Amino acid sequence: MENQYANEIWPLAIYFGMVIMLVVTMLALSWVLGQKRREAATNDPFESGVVSVGGSQIRISVEFYLVAIFFVIFDLETLFIFAWAVAFFELGWAGYLSITVFIGVLVLALVYQCRSGALEWGNKTRTGLREDQLTTGEST
Amino acid sequence: MEGLNIPLNHILLIASLLFVIGMLGLMIRRNIIFILMSLEVMLNSAALAFVAAGAHWGQPDGQIVFMLILSIAAAEVAVGLSLVLQVQRRFRSLDMDSLDWMRG
Amino acid sequence: MNGSQMQALMPILMLSLTAIVLMIQASIKRDEKATWIITVVGILLALWGAGYARDFSQPVTILLQVDNWGLFFTALVLLASLVTVVLSQDSFSSEGGSKEEYYLLLVLSALGAVILIQSSHMASLLLGMELMGVALYAMIAFPKKGLLPLEAAVKYLVLSGCASAILLFGFALLYAATGELSYKGIGEKAALAYISNPLLVMAGTAMVTAGIAFKLSLVPFHMWTPDVYQGAPTPVTGFLATVSKGAVFVALARIYMDAELHQYESLILALSVLAAFSMLIGNLLALLQEDIKRLLAYSSIAHFGYLLIVLIALTGSEMASEAVTFYLAAYILTTLGAFTVIARVSREDQQKSQISEFEGLFWRNKIQATALTIAMLSFAGIPLTAGFMAKFFVINVAIQGSHWFLLSALVIGSAIGIYYYLRIIFSMSKTSGNDIGFRDRSGDITALLLTVLILMLGSWPQPFIAFAGGL
Repeated sequence: MENQYANEIWPLAIYFGMVIMLVVTMLALSWVLGQKRREAATNDPFESGVVSVGGSQIRISVEFYLVAIFFVIFDLETLFIFAWAVAFFELGWAGYLSITVFIGVLVLALVYQCRSGALEWGNKTRTGLREDQLTTGEST
Repeated sequence: MEGLNIPLNHILLIASLLFVIGMLGLMIRRNIIFILMSLEVMLNSAALAFVAAGAHWGQPDGQIVFMLILSIAAAEVAVGLSLVLQVQRRFRSLDMDSLDWMRG
Repeated sequence: MNGSQMQALMPILMLSLTAIVLMIQASIKRDEKATWIITVVGILLALWGAGYARDFSQPVTILLQVDNWGLFFTALVLLASLVTVVLSQDSFSSEGGSKEEYYLLLVLSALGAVILIQSSHMASLLLGMELMGVALYAMIAFPKKGLLPLEAAVKYLVLSGCASAILLFGFALLYAATGELSYKGIGEKAALAYISNPLLVMAGTAMVTAGIAFKLSLVPFHMWTPDVYQGAPTPVTGFLATVSKGAVFVALARIYMDAELHQYESLILALSVLAAFSMLIGNLLALLQEDIKRLLAYSSIAHFGYLLIVLIALTGSEMASEAVTFYLAAYILTTLGAFTVIARVSREDQQKSQISEFEGLFWRNKIQATALTIAMLSFAGIPLTAGFMAKFFVINVAIQGSHWFLLSALVIGSAIGIYYYLRIIFSMSKTSGNDIGFRDRSGDITALLLTVLILMLGSWPQPFIAFAGGL
């Protein structure tokens, strides 16, 4: 058993070694042969583009986050619809009925989301308060 | 069976490794987002084990459970992330250690 | 699925319908009062459904098993949800002042619990448990004030998620070993699989046990319990302690019976160790608590230790299944009674669940003080209360199965328990400066009803025993 594994594995080991060698050779050659230059803009991320402004850690509005969460959830629901679609003929009318109920509930959830203002930007209709008003009341 | 035939035990080993990685992450990491990610790794390692076992027995059940796990993980993460938002707003930190108001 | 199967699923269908109606109602016009009424009506309809479905008990597909035993616990869980709904009405406020979603989540969580109770397959167990759990995370974090609920929710989410993952991985290993996902199937093939692949079966069983022990907060998997109990709004704590834990225990009992796990010595040993640790450590740590919700958290750890004894002795005694039914019913009623009073006294102020806050309660509100006293006596197992009969059953079962080690742990644990339960009663009878009486009709009525039930179960249990025997 051990021997067999060894037999199967040696081409892989040689391949691995060759890859490492190739990469090392390329890097070493370009380091030896290439020209070296140190100027003001050399190490900038986009040497020829616009100079970036501000930090990378900016505040992103919470709505993006919400939309991402909704996407994850609704995206997964398609999984079940897909599973039904694959077995469409085998499942027949019973399957059709089930998936109708399923999609109906999903639609209801979507309506509920719209109505409770989860998909709106800025104003939240659920409570009738604007975002800035929401945050003032809960600095406990 | 044609194609790549990987023994069940190997996949279970990988799944266990993933599970342990997730568990360690859960215990060591202090940032809530990373804890949620570790949780996801743990759930997905279980899902992987289910798919492997389902393939081993030639049943679709493993993959169906995989789907269920996926959707459950999504629900859990959705609630988890909304809690993260609230924690950031009220505690001004995502460090699990800042959540230690209760003792005893 | 035919008509009679649909009828067997009546409680589940009713709860699902309620959830959908609540969602529609919230999107048409938000009105907390209407939401409350719909929720109550929905749960009452589901209770009716549980009675209705008795005539149709049968396995519904491979996933669910509708039988009288499960329907009884369904009714119990629905009752607990109803009490929670009544308590939640004005005991805490949420962000924006209205909590339609809270009731929606409560209905969903109860639905998860019902599915969990009736599950006979790993997939339905998973769905029920997670539906119950995920809705609970959100319920815990619902109040607007304070940092504690949020902290409790995050801790519960992380640890409960971890427990689910462990449970799932355990089931995955068992599936790899046996090729079955239903409890019965696993039980049938486990013995054979154990011979060919002992490691897989052992690891799988151990992980499933650990995952469930996490959810039931048995020592040493109990770390989350006190924090979550304390941090969650009191009605939600009551819900968690009764519905969530009760449903998980019923699921455990079902796995245990369907898969015939009593034949595995090592598993019995592991369960015995868990039970003994829970009884002793739970009671000992409860002694140190100043917060009544934390105290009840440790006390619940101990009570699930007592319950495990019945499970361990399941085959040694013909009384065992009645004992599970009786103990769980008594525990749920008593816990509900206690949390009703705590919710009414402490309201939403997190600081007010200290034991010292209950000083002089006898002079402030006699009904609720009496109710809390009866609940504490019942927890301690004093005669004439439900807790006494329940403990009597457990001791009886333990003696029949001659589990002397567990029995001694139970006796020591109960002896410690009496001390801290009585401490609460004494502190209520103390006079303190601010003895301003308060009235509160819904709280009084709920507390009174639960007290009557506890006393009835304790002093006149024959009808219930006969009923439980017939399940």
